Amino acid sequence: MKPVMQWLDDDAGRRALIAAHPESILVSPDLPLRANLSVLDNIAMIPQYRENLAYDAAADRAWALLGRAGHTDIAFRRDPDLNHEERFVAKLLRALIAAPPVILVDRPGMLLPDLHYPPYLENLLARLEDLPNDCWILDYRWNAPLYPSR
Amino acid sequence: MAFLTPLLTRRGAGLLGTWRIWRDTLRFAGRAIVFACAPSAYNSATRDVVMKQIYFTAWQILPLFTLFAALLSYMLIQIVVSTAAQFGYSEYALELSVRMLVLEILPLLTALFVALRSSSAINTEVALMKIQGEIEALEDAGVDTLRLEFMPRVIGGVVSVLALVTVSSALTLVLAYVAVYGPQPWSLPDFSRVMAKVFDAQIMLGLLLKTLAFGLAVTVIPVAEGLATPRKLFMAPVSVLRGMVRLFFVLMLIEMLSLAYKYT
Repeated sequence: MKPVMQWLDDDAGRRALIAAHPESILVSPDLPLRANLSVLDNIAMIPQYRENLAYDAAADRAWALLGRAGHTDIAFRRDPDLNHEERFVAKLLRALIAAPPVILVDRPGMLLPDLHYPPYLENLLARLEDLPNDCWILDYRWNAPLYPSR
Repeated sequence: MAFLTPLLTRRGAGLLGTWRIWRDTLRFAGRAIVFACAPSAYNSATRDVVMKQIYFTAWQILPLFTLFAALLSYMLIQIVVSTAAQFGYSEYALELSVRMLVLEILPLLTALFVALRSSSAINTEVALMKIQGEIEALEDAGVDTLRLEFMPRVIGGVVSVLALVTVSSALTLVLAYVAVYGPQPWSLPDFSRVMAKVFDAQIMLGLLLKTLAFGLAVTVIPVAEGLATPRKLFMAPVSVLRGMVRLFFVLMLIEMLSLAYKYT
């Protein structure tokens, strides 16, 4: 899963880009986890529903993804008990397990306000590099200096 | 005349709002029933939600509710039996007790109990899901929330109300027998004759339909009200308040229609 930067000029542009990709799944500060489910259940629910997998099989897949992201410690915690980084990982894995062609990470600065997020995102996505989804990072152009130059 | 326009505008907006919420409730009920009847709507995830709903709505409260229903039933049966004896109508005591409790009080009591315990929780949960954007998040991930979150709650609620009414009614019949004939089995033929007289096919069908309507009401109204909540956090308690008031009136309406059908 290789990150692709999508630089935005304003909110209207962001909305237009999201609307132009209905096949994508959004990782956004506006789309929370189900508050009364654990992180594991939030992720497992997607294949359980979409592929009619038994709960155990879906939970195994969710657990494997959490392991790859290095966050099995949050599997049984619920949304209010997570910090920003853990919540972001849970949202990203929930999107990832649905295997959409594109995952849109919407305004990472709002999702990860306490981190220098560009290198963090790069490290996290590197761990999931072999997955087939594309990952577009939607960030405002004025945040470009935060990203390491390639 | 200047004061009349804003007044009528406000009244009209209020009426339209009320009309919209009832229309949405009926629409949601129709969609939930259609979904519930389609085998393709069920998968591993929806079955899990149905089972959780039945667990929280019926199984968890079963011991306490059964005890409460048994105590109340026994008390009311004793009042009917002793009053009937005073007026020389002892032969009608059993029929009167069963008609009053099994056909009227227990289904309504069960629906009110489930409404207080589960409907308020469902209304709050759905309203918060709507306000916080959880519904939108699930839809974005390709999950049909009607099928995964709401239809299973309706099925679970209907099954729970049916189960609780059945359990409490069966227990009440046993208590009525004991109260009228005493703890001995020799009067079972007499008891069976009275039961056959009370529970004819029409009455049984009416009871089943009423219980189904109660089960639908205690889940459909809170879900529809929760879904109609504007995305503002301070509207959550307002949504629950409205939902519970509407639910109370609908339960009473169902009971009144059932009484009117049976006794007029």
